[in-house]
Amino acid sequence: MGAHISIPMYRRTVPQRYRLAGQRCTACGRVNFPPKAVCRYCRTGTGFDSVRLSGRGTVYSYTVIAGGGAPPEFSEEARCKGSYPVVLVELEEGPRIIAQLVDPPEEGITVGMKVEAVFRRIYEEEGVIRYGFKFRPV
Amino acid sequence: MAKSVVSYGSYIPFLRIRREEYISALGSCGADIKEKAVMDIDEDTVTMAVEAASDALAGVDPARVGVLALASANFPYGEKFIAGTLVEALGLSGSVLTSHHGGSALAGSEAFLAALGLLDQTDREYALVIVSDAPQASPSSGLDHGFGAAACAFVLARDGSGLEFEGACSRAGEFMGLRYRTAGETGVRDIGVGAYSSMAYNETVSASLSGILEKMGRIPGHYRCLVMPQADVRADTALAKKMGFGEDQTRDGLVYNLVGDAGCCTPFLGLCRALESAGTGEKILVCTYGAGSGSHSMSFCLNGPLPASPRPVGSLLEKKRQIGYIHYLKLKRII
Ligand SMILES: [Zn+2]
Repeated sequence: MGAHISIPMYRRTVPQRYRLAGQRCTACGRVNFPPKAVCRYCRTGTGFDSVRLSGRGTVYSYTVIAGGGAPPEFSEEARCKGSYPVVLVELEEGPRIIAQLVDPPEEGITVGMKVEAVFRRIYEEEGVIRYGFKFRPV
Repeated sequence: MAKSVVSYGSYIPFLRIRREEYISALGSCGADIKEKAVMDIDEDTVTMAVEAASDALAGVDPARVGVLALASANFPYGEKFIAGTLVEALGLSGSVLTSHHGGSALAGSEAFLAALGLLDQTDREYALVIVSDAPQASPSSGLDHGFGAAACAFVLARDGSGLEFEGACSRAGEFMGLRYRTAGETGVRDIGVGAYSSMAYNETVSASLSGILEKMGRIPGHYRCLVMPQADVRADTALAKKMGFGEDQTRDGLVYNLVGDAGCCTPFLGLCRALESAGTGEKILVCTYGAGSGSHSMSFCLNGPLPASPRPVGSLLEKKRQIGYIHYLKLKRII
C-alpha cells in the first residue's frame, strides 16, 4: 500500500522536509518536530520560535525493509538495493524521527550509532521528484 | 575591493566503480581512471549540490547570501526553476538573485563569473556558486566509462580575505560534433574523430590560457598550481607541458583518476583539492573546457587563509564503497 501525498500537501511541508525546520515552544522551551499547532510536550504552549534542527542524532532503533515489503513509491530503490534500512533517530534537540539510512556500515547498524541528516530523493511520482531527508552514519 | 572566495565545500558520492570492474565485465575500459564516483539511486545533481553547499555555508549566515548561481549540464529536470529547491534546502532568502547555467562543461566557470557580476546587483555580502554535475552516456558507448559525479560550492564575498579572483579570459568558437546531446536525449554522443577532437581542445584551451597569462602579465612560473579541465587528462598534461607548466604545478589539482569526469564540476573539485595544500600568497589558475567549444581561464591569488572545509576532498576520496558492474547498471536504470 502506498502512502500517497498530494503535491500541494507535500509543498506545505517543504521547510520541515528539506531543512528540518522545527519550532521551539515559548512556554516550555522544548523543540517540536514536525511542527505542531499545540506543543506536544507541555500540551498548552501555542507560541513558537522557529528553529532549524542540526540533523545530528543517534540511532534509537532500526529495522531492515526487505525488497518485497517496500511501498510502491520505493520499489525502484528496493529493486536496486535489495533491501534498505530504516532508522528511528533521536535528534540532539530531542525529537525522534523515522527515516531511511544511507551508506549503512558494513559491520551493521547499532543502537546509539551517531548519524546525520542528508538531503536525498525520497521518491518520484508523476515525474515529480519528492526530496527530503534520510540519515547517514557520521 | 577584491572579490574573493571566503569558504568552500565539496561532495563526492560514497559509491565507486573500479577500472577492473569494466575490464572484467566488458573486456576493456575506455578511460584512464583508477576508479570513479557513482551517484546512489536516491542522488542527483541537486542532492549533491545541497551536500557541497551546506559545507560551504557552515560558517555563513544564509540570510546574508544575495546571489545564488547554479551550474550543471545535468539538472534532474529539463525545465523547472531548480534554485527554488536549493533556497528551501539551504534556508536562503527568498529574495536571492538567481542564475542557472548548463548546456556544457563550461557551465561551472560561467556560473562563477556570473556570480561575480551579480554581486554588484545586491546589497548583501555574499554570492553562493554551486557546481554539481554527473555526465551521462549510454553504457554501451565508451563515453560512459570515464563519467563520474561530484559537486562543489563556493561562497564569494564582495571584499574578504581568502582566494582573491584576479581576472578571467575566454575563448569561444564553433566545433560541432564533440560531446553533444540533442534536445530530449539523456546521454551524450561524440563523432569520435580523435584528431578533430584534439584540435578543438588544443586551439580553444591554449587560447584561453595564453590569454590569461598575457592579461595578468605573468609567466607559468608565477603560478603555484594550474587546474586543467580534466575531461581528457592525457591532452591536459601534453598541453600544460607545451605551455611551460611543470608536472609539479598540475599535480595538486588532479581528481579525474579517482572521481572520473564530473562534467563542469571537475576543474572546481580540482581547485578545492589544490586549496587544501596551497599557502598564502600563492597563485592558482583554473582552466575549464566545454566541447563545442569554449574555454575559460581564471586567475586567483590566495591572499589569506580559508576556513578548512568540514569535509576535505582528501577525506571524501577515502570515504567510499566499491560496487560491481551489475549494480552500476541498476543505478543507471539500465536493468
Ligand atoms: Zn511546550
